[in-house]
Amino acid sequence: MEQQVNTETALQNIQRLTDNIETVIKGKRNQIKFVLTALLAKGHILMEDNPGTGKTVMARTLAQSISGSHDQSVNFKRIQFTPDLLPMDLIGSHIFDDVKKEFIFKKGPLFCNVLLADEINRASPKVQSALLECMAENQITMGEITYKLDNLFFTIATQNPVEMEGTYPLPAAQLDRFFIKIIFGYVDEETELDIYKDYLGINNNLNNVQQVLGIDEILFLQQQSENVFVHDEIIKAVRNIVWATRRHQDILLGGSTRSGITFLKCLKAYALVNGRTYVIEDDVNDLCQPVLDHRLIYRNKEAKANALGNIRNAEMERLSKLKINA
Amino acid sequence: MKIEKLHSTKKIAAQLLLLILPACAVGAYMLWHINQYYSVLNNQWVKHSLFLAAGLITGSILYNYRFRFISTFIPLILLLVIISRVIRIVFTGEFSAFYASTNFYIFSFLFTAGWLIGWGFARMRYFPIILSAVLLAIQIVVVSKTTDITAQKLIIAFAPVLVFALYIIYTAELVRNMNDDEPAFAWFIGKKLTGFAVVATLLLILILSFFNKEFKAIEKEFGGQGKQQKEQDKESLTKENKDGTISNKKEMGMSGGRKSSKRLVFIAKLDNYFPGTEMPNPLYFTYDYFTKFDTLTQTLETDSLMPSNDLFQPDPSKIPLYFTQTDSSVLLKAKGNLKRKIVTTEVYKALLSPKDFLAPSTAFFCQPIAVEREYKQQFKSAYRAKMYVSDLNSAYFIYNPAGNTELENFQQQRFEELRKVTNWNNEDRNFMNYYTFIPKGDSYDSIRALAQHLTTSATMPIDKMIAVRNYFLSKDEDGQPLFRYTDNPGIPGLPSANKLTFFLFENRKGYCAYFAGATLFLLRALGIPSRVATGFLTVDRSDKNKGWYWFYEDQAHAWVQAYFPGYGWIDFDTTVPSTEQQQSPAPDGTPPITVQSAQFVSFGKVLNVDTTKKRVEMEVNKMIFHDKVFELKESVKLDMDVSLATINKDTGIVSLSELKKGMEITAMSFSEEIKNIIPLDSNSSHEIFSKIPKPAPIDEITILDTEKEKQQKKEVKKEKKEFSLLTTLWISLAIIGGLILLVWSMPWLIYRWFKFKALQNSGSRQKAYWSYTSAMYLLNQLGFARNGLSPLEFAKQEIDPRFKTNFSSFIQAYLKTKYSTQPFTSSEENIVRNFYSPFDSSVKSQIPFKQRFNKFSNVYRTINYFTKPKV
Repeated sequence: MEQQVNTETALQNIQRLTDNIETVIKGKRNQIKFVLTALLAKGHILMEDNPGTGKTVMARTLAQSISGSHDQSVNFKRIQFTPDLLPMDLIGSHIFDDVKKEFIFKKGPLFCNVLLADEINRASPKVQSALLECMAENQITMGEITYKLDNLFFTIATQNPVEMEGTYPLPAAQLDRFFIKIIFGYVDEETELDIYKDYLGINNNLNNVQQVLGIDEILFLQQQSENVFVHDEIIKAVRNIVWATRRHQDILLGGSTRSGITFLKCLKAYALVNGRTYVIEDDVNDLCQPVLDHRLIYRNKEAKANALGNIRNAEMERLSKLKINA
Repeated sequence: MKIEKLHSTKKIAAQLLLLILPACAVGAYMLWHINQYYSVLNNQWVKHSLFLAAGLITGSILYNYRFRFISTFIPLILLLVIISRVIRIVFTGEFSAFYASTNFYIFSFLFTAGWLIGWGFARMRYFPIILSAVLLAIQIVVVSKTTDITAQKLIIAFAPVLVFALYIIYTAELVRNMNDDEPAFAWFIGKKLTGFAVVATLLLILILSFFNKEFKAIEKEFGGQGKQQKEQDKESLTKENKDGTISNKKEMGMSGGRKSSKRLVFIAKLDNYFPGTEMPNPLYFTYDYFTKFDTLTQTLETDSLMPSNDLFQPDPSKIPLYFTQTDSSVLLKAKGNLKRKIVTTEVYKALLSPKDFLAPSTAFFCQPIAVEREYKQQFKSAYRAKMYVSDLNSAYFIYNPAGNTELENFQQQRFEELRKVTNWNNEDRNFMNYYTFIPKGDSYDSIRALAQHLTTSATMPIDKMIAVRNYFLSKDEDGQPLFRYTDNPGIPGLPSANKLTFFLFENRKGYCAYFAGATLFLLRALGIPSRVATGFLTVDRSDKNKGWYWFYEDQAHAWVQAYFPGYGWIDFDTTVPSTEQQQSPAPDGTPPITVQSAQFVSFGKVLNVDTTKKRVEMEVNKMIFHDKVFELKESVKLDMDVSLATINKDTGIVSLSELKKGMEITAMSFSEEIKNIIPLDSNSSHEIFSKIPKPAPIDEITILDTEKEKQQKKEVKKEKKEFSLLTTLWISLAIIGGLILLVWSMPWLIYRWFKFKALQNSGSRQKAYWSYTSAMYLLNQLGFARNGLSPLEFAKQEIDPRFKTNFSSFIQAYLKTKYSTQPFTSSEENIVRNFYSPFDSSVKSQIPFKQRFNKFSNVYRTINYFTKPKV
């Protein structure tokens, strides 16, 4: 019974969070869901699109919706990645304290709850790698000392399309740390008009965002997403899809086992975000592209456009015809 | 240019092994089968199937790469055309050029056909269905060429092709859908094919057990010993029946050679004498008339529609002993009264089938008679026949004309007699057209020319005939006989050359069928109505027994009969005597002495059998008493003493215990006791019965077909009779129509099934599943494709806005049952319970019936629905 109540409050909380973010980011419901999915799956998200589509606003709104200690919103940091950025600029550095006569560690912007790594692919690979440990392990090692990050550490990275000038493609290991990669995309015409009107009216700007959930509630939601039920056939579907990517003649590098595990984690979180405590085939359908696409290396552009979609459709076809007598 | 492969090597190998190889095998089988009907193929089916296989393999391998069809096929055709031109130039001499190019045409045709099939397998998804249809159509056409279609022939023709059709349709889809990266790939294929083999075997067994009787015959033919017999069968004029007896064949091919063993078929006593003398006059024994010549198969055929059909063909095994069957209409149809008389013969059958009836032309009477007990082992049955024979006929005239002045005199008299006939002007047009028919064509024109050339000096028809006969007996420049008799005339070198022309103008060697066939056309070319008769040559071999003749297997014969107005059909044999042929042994055995005539014969059903007391009670319907037949108005019970009687069946002597209640039997008595009863003038059958001693002493009982056997035989007969060409056509049409209807209504049937399941299931999980499946299927058939959307998206974005239904909320509920263990809430339960019927009717009502009907019957969509999408 308690479980039931917990689940219901969890589902309500997610709904509140989503609605709250949507007051600022209009017409991006799906993207909001993906962001929350990555958050609940204890992962990170990579958003790709041209500048000015609302990526930064999205990250900021999310941070502002979550209240930290002392009624303040959670610690939100934003780093603009540039080619000359150094790892120290992220992690922090030891500086000499004149009073204490010793080196003290001055924490860098990484020590926060929600990190917006803007235009991550403009930084050199060295800087990108600096993010690896903290994204994977939630900790930063500086010399001999390991600093733990806060329980809630969520990175929203944005990147410009790789084809644009002055960009370094992210290494595969780095990409793997991002559970989900989404294309942000432009809003439709109607919504665009709404956004302009809102901006002129200034009745709903970023500063007015309410703090709807506390960090504890977010942590609770993360814990709840672990309890989501996954049917054996769904697990099998994930296995099939990952295997299919390895066999496909147009995919040079298929999905890893870790990508499969990530897929399952995301499925659970996504189900919760959609107000369910069980995973259904549509979750697989929706998440396949965002979770797997950026981990695969394709033979050519045509393959990139079709291969994964075909694999997903075939597997969906199997699922949709499946008769499960549970 | 790099040509990419369409499929992986593994897949190509699987295609070769699982599709192409069986196709080659079936191709070879069909060529072998067709070869039996079309002499053009000239018994070279092994070579021909290699041609086909070469085409098949080349085509299939080639088109597994990304070659374009048109740009490869046109060069192939061009190449073949060029080669055929070159052949004509290189090979000088009309003969060899013709030969080579004919062979090459066959090669090109088969190779191209194989190529196309290979292309189909590699590129077209539904090709196996097309191929199966084409193969079946070919078999139908081939089978329709045969005159007597039996179940056995149908099985031989269709069973392999049908099995192949099923196999290929199944396997092609299997190979197409297979995933060659699957680790246990061989196991997967093996498993599926084993399953298929089991199903196909069961199906085959079912079919064959249905035609059980015929199947046994096939088994016999394909078994080791049977094969030899079949070889022999094919080339001789007689055929072996299933029960080991011998009959004359119904068609006469002219291929290969003729071999016959020296087994005794029957013996006969013929009471025919030269007019005014005591000298026995042997006559040919006729079995059947061949009046029609099929130009395509080059075979003489019987024709039950021949004008003035004077063929009397009773089945002696069906007539009760001593009862008679007569057909006086043949006397009229024989169209001859001059020099005719009625003659009796008695035929004792050794190997001859009990069903067969042979007698000199023109028979009109048949009476089965009993065989003396001591000859029972040798002669299974016997009959007496009466014929209306012509004095102008004699086996001597043909076979042994020279040396005997008496015979030569008769020969001359006969010719003189026939010189009275000058024309056929008064004959019926139809009759004349039919019996003087010659197909059109160069080769027949040459026969015509030869006939004119041979008879330039003769004026009377009979003289023309003698000229033809002398031609066959004439000698060439070297003094050697122009025509020779041989059992193995050799196959003419040209595939399509007319065999008769080859025989007449080049080879000049052959057996009776060649001589008869050639003579038939020579006579018809001269306007003399003629036909070929088959049966047995009568050879006078025994000096001891005058009037008795022995008939061995190698005496099976074919000869010509020519029609002379007023005299009827006259035997005319041009076959030259064989120089090397060994004579059958002169039989010294004594013939069965004519049986004492039965004093009393009764025909009826067995009422009671007492094997210990040797008593049988029967119900008599008909009886013969002192050679007089009595039909009883009321059947009479007869108590019989059978302690001395022999019980006979078709197959020979059987024991008394074989006699069962209800069997139809004839009981015979040769008893003196009965002989001495003198019937009064009243001829009352009851009076006779009252005088017959009780129990009546019976010497012989013959079992006619029992009721059960009769039924079976009737069925077999029916089977054989009903497979006439037209019926076969109708049945095939009906089957094809049925199949089309089935395929066409398949989408609807599947829909009804789903709907039934959806409405009938009460468990909410089951109901949800079937409602979902049925709804998805319905939408699929109506042309709402999902196009990569998940069912839920599809419902939300397309169906619900279009039809104003609650499909998406139903799917949500359904997905909950499918993927979670949670129970339904009451509202979800409600949705599932009340979803299907309103949805179904709502969707249907929003699409006009005509549109719905058209879309629904699209089988392609149904197939799509059930197949896996390609990754």
